[in-house]
Amino acid sequence: MTARDLLTRSNLLGAALVVVLLVLPSLATAYFVNFVMTQTFILGLAAATIVFLAKYGGMISLAQFLLFGVAGFMFGNAAQETGARGLNLGWHPWAAVVFALAVTTAAAFVLGALASRSTGLYFLMLTMVYAVIGYYVFAQIVEISGPGGLTSIQRPDLLGPPVRLYYAGLGLSVLAYVGFRAVGRTAFGLALQGVRDDPVRMASLGFNVPLHRALAFTLAGFAAGAGGLLNVWWNGQIDPASIAIGPTLILLIIAVIGGISSFEGAWLGAFVYVLIFTYLRDLPLIDRVGITEARFNTVIGVIVLVIMMLSPEGLTGIARRLRRRLRPPARTGPAPSTGPPLPVRTTEKELGVTRR
Amino acid sequence: MSRLSRPAALTLSTAASLALLAAGCSGDGGSSGLPADQESSSFSAEGDGVRLGILGQCEGPFGGFHEDVVAGTTLAFARYAGASPNSSTSALEGFSDAEVAGTPIELVGIGCGDDTADRILQEVRRLVEQQGANVIIGPLSGDEGIAVAEYAKGKPDLTVFAGISGSQEQTLQVQAPNYFRFYGDGAIWNAGLGDLLYREKGWRKVAVIADDYSFGHTSAAGFVADFCGVGGEVTHRVFPPLGTTDYSSYIAQLPDPDEVDGYFWAVGGTGTQAALEAFVNAKGDLTGDRHAGNFFFNPDLAQALGTDIAGAHIGGFATLPGDIQTPEIKEYLAAADETWETIPGSLSGNEPAPPSTSAAFGFFYGYYSAGVALVEGLKAVDGDISDPKAFQSAVAGLTLDLPHGDISLDENRSGIVDVGLSRLAVNDSDEVVQESVAIVPGVDQTFGGTFSPDTPSPGRDFPKCEKRDLPWEGKAIPVVDGVPQR
Repeated sequence: MTARDLLTRSNLLGAALVVVLLVLPSLATAYFVNFVMTQTFILGLAAATIVFLAKYGGMISLAQFLLFGVAGFMFGNAAQETGARGLNLGWHPWAAVVFALAVTTAAAFVLGALASRSTGLYFLMLTMVYAVIGYYVFAQIVEISGPGGLTSIQRPDLLGPPVRLYYAGLGLSVLAYVGFRAVGRTAFGLALQGVRDDPVRMASLGFNVPLHRALAFTLAGFAAGAGGLLNVWWNGQIDPASIAIGPTLILLIIAVIGGISSFEGAWLGAFVYVLIFTYLRDLPLIDRVGITEARFNTVIGVIVLVIMMLSPEGLTGIARRLRRRLRPPARTGPAPSTGPPLPVRTTEKELGVTRR
Repeated sequence: MSRLSRPAALTLSTAASLALLAAGCSGDGGSSGLPADQESSSFSAEGDGVRLGILGQCEGPFGGFHEDVVAGTTLAFARYAGASPNSSTSALEGFSDAEVAGTPIELVGIGCGDDTADRILQEVRRLVEQQGANVIIGPLSGDEGIAVAEYAKGKPDLTVFAGISGSQEQTLQVQAPNYFRFYGDGAIWNAGLGDLLYREKGWRKVAVIADDYSFGHTSAAGFVADFCGVGGEVTHRVFPPLGTTDYSSYIAQLPDPDEVDGYFWAVGGTGTQAALEAFVNAKGDLTGDRHAGNFFFNPDLAQALGTDIAGAHIGGFATLPGDIQTPEIKEYLAAADETWETIPGSLSGNEPAPPSTSAAFGFFYGYYSAGVALVEGLKAVDGDISDPKAFQSAVAGLTLDLPHGDISLDENRSGIVDVGLSRLAVNDSDEVVQESVAIVPGVDQTFGGTFSPDTPSPGRDFPKCEKRDLPWEGKAIPVVDGVPQR
């Protein structure tokens, strides 16, 4: 790929978006930056791992929030020096970061290997079982989870001011977005998509199907772990209820709102979720129609329902369709003059929908 | 091919909406250009008055108490700050015209918790960082209290008056200098109960079953420290998760009635009744005098369990048992009835009922106490809260003259309180009612050194069951027919 290939409109727009986000802290209020946007990046990062597994591997995982939590718990145990809760190992914060990511990645590999022979609904069920078991592991083994959660978790000095956490979230999100898309074009990513489309044929071609799935799950677990670290720094505490089945489903809902087959959708879904959670109740007269903060879950439920009916591909799917309708389909032009055409078909099969 | 027409419109619209939002937000509240790098929001920029946020729970096991707790705080302002509620049938509509020593109290928002620490943190951050609250009243529940106290520690200019959250740790361990609790904790409320059962009922061996979270642990810890302190033995400790609906597997872990003298229950919310029903199913008939519980034992249990529950002993709460009616308490209840026509509180199943129904219960009363503390604190500094440190040190030195007894604070800013113990009894018309037994005066949260900042938090196996001296041993004031024999 040459530099000129990179100068596409979407890349330019993506870069413009990043620039806007980079200067956002001097435009918006502290609360909007440090609460709304930072949380958007954290949840978006975690939801992007669901998208990665669904898009390239055809695996819809409910275990991502567990891995998110594992990283948080491990960091808390390793980094805390004193206090009545957890192991209080008192390590250097960055050693604790390495430890947390190592444990999370290892756990992801083991869980991924165990689930690597199941697909579709069975994979979803199995990962839900992981989420439930994971919750009870942390709820019952109180030595590593409290009792009742780890509190007063400090972030490393480097990330002390809240705005640095925002930039860390932005940086990791951009990295994950670019990284996940790049993985899709590597030999591993192409093989993974092959496994998604036809595991039997890939196996007969000599690919190790379970290994590809397990490695994809491991990579997603690593990224979810990074999101989990950001979360525990942002929130200052984590307890077993943080990774219970409720929050687990919320992450899936975020992925569905945004569109489970597009990486942009992960952050878009998280943004919409956080916006609704934060600002819905401030809309004038909204409580007059019975939508108070207690009805937040109902509103989210209705939105998900509407999105599922209008567009199984979420908000990004709606945007894509609107664009198609607004602009008559242009004839495909001749192949780019520079460089040979990629020998890859771009037909994507996601969740039973084939899209070209 | 698709690369040239990738989601450009999407990216563009996202960028545009983000920019719009950013612009919209920066223009909001006169805080434009506020560097996001700032640790704490600048309170003084918002004006000189009190900008109050109330943290309640509109979801979760205690979601039914949302009206009650907001009404509690409102009543304090209605009585002592000239406030008038905006609605005569609901407290959630807020109040107006509250003012103390020339300083207005403005309600900027009501936070909606769901009994998890994560959620209450989001709510308190919204109230403080978005709505600009400089005083918080709340939260309601145990884990929430710890999280909010930790949050307060990082915001020294914020002042928090805990609502009715009863975990020990939020004051004893966290020790945020700006976090005040004008009531007891779960352990305090069971002080003297073990002593009473050991001496008067001859209990020697007890099994404990408690909710598996900070309040359940704290509540059980108070009973264990007390009962073991006088020489009793706790044979089993069983901790079902909060919100369990089928308790049968936890009941199976309890010993049979012939193995122990009694059972202590600290199972709250919707679990109390379900757990006792499971006990009846598994272990046979219920005889009330073989059971004791924290304040979640109430006469309503008789509706499902029958009058056999009579005889059970109950720990105290923020309020004294209902049969103690001093003039101050009567005045307080009457004031509640004057402030609203009805309040759809939890005790009336969230149906409209006389406000005194809610006001008589501890959830309402805890938030009321917090509201009175804010008023008295403002009076102590002549309404000048421009120096939060001075305001906070004035609050720390307060002794509140409250309907259910005076309350002052210990060095960790937690209440030193009188605890009213009671039992369930059958009255003349065959109804189960609560009957006071004794008042244990002046209980603080250390239990004579059993609990300190250096000890572990109350947990599944802390405190150990061992004999110890407790400051209130033998000092309980008996109560006869609702009259303390001081």
